[in-house]
Amino acid sequence: MSVEKVFGPVDISVSGMRAHARNMEVISSNIANARTADAGQGQPYRRLETIFRTQGEGASGVTVDEVVQDNSPLQRLYDPGNPKADASGYVSMPNVHLPVEMMNLNIASRAYQANAAILRRYQRMVETTLELLR
Amino acid sequence: MPESSGSIINMLEAGIRAEELRQRTIAGNMANVETPGYRRADVRFEQSLAKALKSPGRLDLDALEPEVYQPDDPPLRANGNNVSMEAEIGDLVKNSLRYSTYVRVLRKKFSQIEAAISERT
Repeated sequence: MSVEKVFGPVDISVSGMRAHARNMEVISSNIANARTADAGQGQPYRRLETIFRTQGEGASGVTVDEVVQDNSPLQRLYDPGNPKADASGYVSMPNVHLPVEMMNLNIASRAYQANAAILRRYQRMVETTLELLR
Repeated sequence: MPESSGSIINMLEAGIRAEELRQRTIAGNMANVETPGYRRADVRFEQSLAKALKSPGRLDLDALEPEVYQPDDPPLRANGNNVSMEAEIGDLVKNSLRYSTYVRVLRKKFSQIEAAISERT
């Protein structure tokens, strides 16, 4: 067993914490831009989605593979007074739905906590083994 | 026999020193988690120890110094900083577990020596 493999669970749970922290970053971007009608090229903001991938074969950690745009249809908001409104008085708004984002946020923070719990539990396990050395 | 027990104690001492240095390095990384352009530092010791143990001839622990280096991890943020709080905490956990392992083995070694001294007929 190599030196690095002994603490495998530490690396795996750290990878989980990092990936879910990154996911939380993406979710907060979605929430912050829920009403951004112009995300650069005059187009409304499109919500982002985090794609996870395993780090290798078998028991391994997780990594954020890529952050992709959600191409589902944009929301149409009736707001005739808005200077960006089209002929029929509708404005295109981001395809961000706050309830969905709040649910994803819950999942992300629970997943982060779970990985932190694994880390703490594993630390305690190794300490139990070290107790035997007394 | 004294030679071999001395070498175990020396090896543990070298390990403990390396872990102390690594602890300081991790603390430095964590302190600079928001410093623009900061590159995280790490300590190289276990790999050089493993290499030294494999190579033939007498193991010269004095020549085996833990070395601080900057791994070329990609920057995580736009400001060029590449410190990840989670990764540092993982390193900290691993570091403290290794440290307590070394200290426990060292204490065991000393208590063996003590037992040998006090067992008089």
